[in-house]
Amino acid sequence: MEVRNVSKSFAGAKGFRDVLSGIHFSVEEGDFVSIVGSMGAGKSTFMNILSGLVKADSGTVTIGGKAVTGIHPRASVVFQNYSLLPWFSALENVRLAVDAAYPDWPRKKQIEQATRFLETVGLSGALHKRPSQLSGGMRQRVAIARAFATDPEILLLDEPFSALDALTRATLQQELIDLCSRAGRAVTVIMITNNLDEALLLSDRIVPMTRPPRASLGTPIEVRLPKPRSASLLMHDPHAVRIRAEVVERLAEFVHTKKPAAPVVPIKTATVAEERAS
Amino acid sequence: MKDRLARIALPIVGILAVVALWAFMSTTVPDLPSPLKTWQDSKVYIMEPLVKRGEMDQGIGLLAFQSLIRVAKGFLLGALIATPLGFLLGLSKAFNRMFDPVIQVLRPISPLAWLPLGLIVFQKSEPAALFTIALCSMWPTVINTMAGVKAIPQEYRNVAKVLRLTGFQTFTKVLLPATLPHMFTGYRLSLGIAWLVIVASEMLTGTPGIGGFLWQEYNSLIYAHILLCILTIGIVGFLLDRMMGFVEVRLRSV
Repeated sequence: MEVRNVSKSFAGAKGFRDVLSGIHFSVEEGDFVSIVGSMGAGKSTFMNILSGLVKADSGTVTIGGKAVTGIHPRASVVFQNYSLLPWFSALENVRLAVDAAYPDWPRKKQIEQATRFLETVGLSGALHKRPSQLSGGMRQRVAIARAFATDPEILLLDEPFSALDALTRATLQQELIDLCSRAGRAVTVIMITNNLDEALLLSDRIVPMTRPPRASLGTPIEVRLPKPRSASLLMHDPHAVRIRAEVVERLAEFVHTKKPAAPVVPIKTATVAEERAS
Repeated sequence: MKDRLARIALPIVGILAVVALWAFMSTTVPDLPSPLKTWQDSKVYIMEPLVKRGEMDQGIGLLAFQSLIRVAKGFLLGALIATPLGFLLGLSKAFNRMFDPVIQVLRPISPLAWLPLGLIVFQKSEPAALFTIALCSMWPTVINTMAGVKAIPQEYRNVAKVLRLTGFQTFTKVLLPATLPHMFTGYRLSLGIAWLVIVASEMLTGTPGIGGFLWQEYNSLIYAHILLCILTIGIVGFLLDRMMGFVEVRLRSV
């Protein structure tokens, strides 16, 4: 997967605001890459461009040499806010994804597939519960099961665990690792997170994101640690400690070095009103 | 216990107070029948609600049933037009801009104004009545469905997109369930209006039903029966609203 020179701006009250500018980024098949940045750094916008929900103003996203237009058929997305449909049970939520990915499968096979993935994340007892009856951690488990149930080649995770408490977060991180290793093929994962420990625990490479406006990506930092990793390894291993320091330093640089203020392109008020109305 | 007693006793006190006022009024207004006279004159219609003696001379239950059937037909016709219209208005901005002014102008038109037009177009009283009921009652459904569609969180639309649902799946699995509670609020309000319109349309067309009976008894100077009809219309309308309200609450709790 390759991203070349992607930029995006939104119309704001004072004019166009460049949220992302000049982003270059590439991921090899089977890589686990984390994009780390502070709140409101345009990470989610970038994720929406990768997943095809939002069109970039300029630049290209290619997967396997082909330009991405719309949603990639073999990509799954996990959102921060779970995004389950509240009128369906856990099983129906997952089955809907399976149905969309494999419309020719008989219903029974779709249900089997959905059940299998929900059982993998430990929800065999909650198959027929609605999202409102589940805790945050369980809801995100359903969302993860939904993402994996379509046998994705690419997994896009938009701050998947940031709404969860520390303990649930650790369990789910482990489940994510298990699911990735159990998948029949190499799964390419791009995760957006504001949690450095999470990035260190899971990823092969960490890409720091600069601050907006005109956010872009810094040089990737390789994490050469054997997997699976444990939290204690990350605390004590000299390489891990060094990487952590490096990422922190880079992110701090972005915060402290004053970039030239991004020019705000004035636009006519009428255009802004038009934009908002539409 | 005291609370429960109050909950039962206070409405009864309220009803008795209104009946007392009615009784007092009937002593001063010469043609207004007293509650007792209303009861005596209407007893046969209430005690034998399903007896048919003539085209209009029927038990109150039978009359109300005929009106309800007419309301159901008109309401369903209206809902059949209003629901897809509401969806289109909510989904398409161009469509919304095109037809919003038309809807705002058509909405406040009284059934009394539509009915003659219906009679001209359809030449018969029954379809004209249905036309009027449908046309007057559909607006709350249109507007609530539209608002419901517009209020669907972007989150759910994104789910539909990333799961690559087909247009049909997006509609049945995402848009429709998300809008359903709003739609039912519209249906409840629409049914209320349909019931209001029925009396006017039956009066003007003289079709058998609670409104037709009311008008006939006015012309026959049997004023007690007017009060009987008014009370029946009120009670049936109240029950209809409660019924729809019950469904609506159940849908909202999902």
